[in-house]
Amino acid sequence: MSKRLANRIAVGALWLCGITTVAVLGAVIVYVFVRGIGQITPEFIFTKPHGVNAEGGIGPTIVATIYVTGLAMLIVTPIAVLAAVYLAEYAVQGRLVNAIRFAADTLASVPSIVLGLFGFAFFYEAMGLGFSVLSGALALSFLMLPIVMRATEEAIRAVPRFIRWGSYGLGASKWQTVSRIVLPAAAPRILTGLILAMGRAVGETAVVIFTMGEAIYTPISPLDPGRSMTVHLYVLAMEGINMDAAYGTALLLMVMILMFNLSARWLTARNRKVKES
Amino acid sequence: MIVTGSTTLLPISEVSGEMYGELHEGTSVLVSGMGSSAGIESVTKGSSDIGTSSRELKDAELDLGLTDTPVAYDAIAVIVNPDNPVDSLTTMQVRAIFAGVITNWSQVGGPDLEIGLVNRDEASGTREAFSKIIMDDAQFDRGAVVLPGTGQVRAVVAEVEGAVGYISLGFVTDEVKAVAIDGVAPSEASVVSGDYPVQRILHFFTKGEISDAAASYIEYVLSPEVQDVIVRDAGFIPITAKEALGD
Amino acid sequence: MTESNRMLEQPAVRNGGTLKMMSRATYLREALLKNLFLVCAVVAVAAVSLIFIFTASRGWSVVRDPGLGAFLGGTEWSSTRGEYGILPLVNGTLVITIGALLLGAPLAIGTAVFLSEISSSKMRRIVRPAVEMLAGVPSVVYGFFGLVILRPIVAEMTGGMGFGPLTASVILAVMIVPTIATLTEDALGSVPPGIREASYAMGATTWQTIYKVLLPAAKIGIIDAIILGMGRAVGETMAVVMVAGNAPQFFKGFGAPIATVTSQIVIDMSYASGTHKTALFGLAIILFLISMGLVALVRALSRLNDRKA
Repeated sequence: MSKRLANRIAVGALWLCGITTVAVLGAVIVYVFVRGIGQITPEFIFTKPHGVNAEGGIGPTIVATIYVTGLAMLIVTPIAVLAAVYLAEYAVQGRLVNAIRFAADTLASVPSIVLGLFGFAFFYEAMGLGFSVLSGALALSFLMLPIVMRATEEAIRAVPRFIRWGSYGLGASKWQTVSRIVLPAAAPRILTGLILAMGRAVGETAVVIFTMGEAIYTPISPLDPGRSMTVHLYVLAMEGINMDAAYGTALLLMVMILMFNLSARWLTARNRKVKES
Repeated sequence: MIVTGSTTLLPISEVSGEMYGELHEGTSVLVSGMGSSAGIESVTKGSSDIGTSSRELKDAELDLGLTDTPVAYDAIAVIVNPDNPVDSLTTMQVRAIFAGVITNWSQVGGPDLEIGLVNRDEASGTREAFSKIIMDDAQFDRGAVVLPGTGQVRAVVAEVEGAVGYISLGFVTDEVKAVAIDGVAPSEASVVSGDYPVQRILHFFTKGEISDAAASYIEYVLSPEVQDVIVRDAGFIPITAKEALGD
Repeated sequence: MTESNRMLEQPAVRNGGTLKMMSRATYLREALLKNLFLVCAVVAVAAVSLIFIFTASRGWSVVRDPGLGAFLGGTEWSSTRGEYGILPLVNGTLVITIGALLLGAPLAIGTAVFLSEISSSKMRRIVRPAVEMLAGVPSVVYGFFGLVILRPIVAEMTGGMGFGPLTASVILAVMIVPTIATLTEDALGSVPPGIREASYAMGATTWQTIYKVLLPAAKIGIIDAIILGMGRAVGETMAVVMVAGNAPQFFKGFGAPIATVTSQIVIDMSYASGTHKTALFGLAIILFLISMGLVALVRALSRLNDRKA
């Protein structure tokens, strides 16, 4: 085979790979969209499921999903950002830093089912929080911690060094430099990381099913139980009841996650533009 | 008020709980389906007011001091694809099929078609009842597809020609065909009369002195409002049907 | 995951000069804050330890009941008979993971090479976000898609009901594409451009450059990517439960139902008690150790790579 022909075939195959990837995403999105769009009405979004076949809306599951994700965010953000500040600004390469990075990498790759079981044993049983939004949020914060830490650390490192030197030159202390110069400059990228972590949390099932429970309930207090949208979709799909509502739930989930994704991209793009101008 | 237990009973307890909450301002009934064993454990420990169960108490559970209130009949139907000509099986045949001894429909008078077994997960009260009544605790074929939901079992049997599964009679629809067992077709009359062999009673269990709210909720569940509407809508047979049919 | 390692450490500004000019109060505050940050950073270590200690404390007694041999070497998983042998589950996890890698890794690496070497910037603007969004699709949505679309297709192909390793592997293959593609693209991106240019200057075609120069140069990065993709596949739960068929038996064919370590936990967890529950936590310990082992492997490989470079 001539090298030209081989090249053509190989390049063609690589194109095929790229196109297949897009096509798969397209298939999932289009399918869920076509089957789900008919379901999406204000009633579906705001009312409670009722009856034997979970007819009606999925309101409580949306509330529970947003609630647990928001709470997890509140718990994880300060810790993850300050941890990243330590790694990026203070830490000296050594055993401790190595251990921290190894732990963060491990945390990022622990299967969510393990986090779910751990959350059940620790937050539900040992701490006595029961099936609650708080248990769910605490377990989710374990999942989000490494994502936010990494994004923040990279954001801080991307802040040009000379800006810091300017600050030190004016006599600012380290914390003054970090809090007033570095973190504000890194803020858009940190926010991007936070948004992506929230997207992960919204799409998570195995963690919340064992910590927040499956009861359809609109949680008010953090100690209330709830059923997330993902759990609702799982239950509907596995029970095989009301497939229409399952498609509707899947579509809303996808839309929420796409919105997270797009707003993160938009932030990144805007940030780049600001920098260039 | 917390009601925990059988997923089979979910349609009854969830919907009646919802309606009860609307009738009685300030009381909300929290229902979760964790399986019958979990329901019994939970009411025994006191973390639930009512434990719902689709099985009788096990010997070890008899001494726990639980009060039993039967609320409905649940018959289990053996379902096949509507295109399958087989419409009657004996208990022994069903057992052999689910144990993986009979693997082709031709062995029970059907076409030459491989049998596709659909089983429920071990958490399921339906599986437990089916195992007791039909299998006589013989082992299920371990190669069966395990699905954790009634609707999925029905959907798969409706779609795959050689498939066979079992679900509560209440969930049988036109998509599938419920076969007669030992010559008795599953129906309300044959269940209440006791002729149809694959059936069980659904229970509410409570422990000791119960709260007024729980007592009034149970009373509500036994009222015609729930029995004739919700229980029937869920496809079960009201516990009151026996009296109505004159025993 | 290895990137932060390779990244240059910021020279910490610990110039003694400024310290002297600080007031005592400022100095104390700075020291206090530094320690606070340190505590936050150590939270990650504490979290991992907590997960391990707690899961282990709930699961370690499998060594007594059913016994380590019966647990690790048992060939039956049946709670009704009180047998908790993990081999059929491990077998299922292995089959499905290998299937997912065989299908997913070439697609992912191909996509990464396409993005980094072939695609126009216009195509890149479509393909790259698509890869990122694939990573964002919740696993239940993949499972749902597999259940309603892919399963009937597989049922047609293999006979049977379509639950089993084939359906699960295809779904998992799609799920690990983003992990492998993103990391492979990073690895290709870190190959110095000079090497590429040298290859083209010598008259090599695009494919020759990719095959003989770039892929070997990025080898370790790509292996890392595959290992992490594997970790994702081993740990994936909800999508697998929905399409695998959940029969804890050894591999019997691509269309025959099978269970994995993760799917068995979900199926059993809602009703398990006693030894059964302990055994489930035992499964969680194994999953935890596998994922930690894979991370350690990736880090060791990167270190090797750094040393070579």
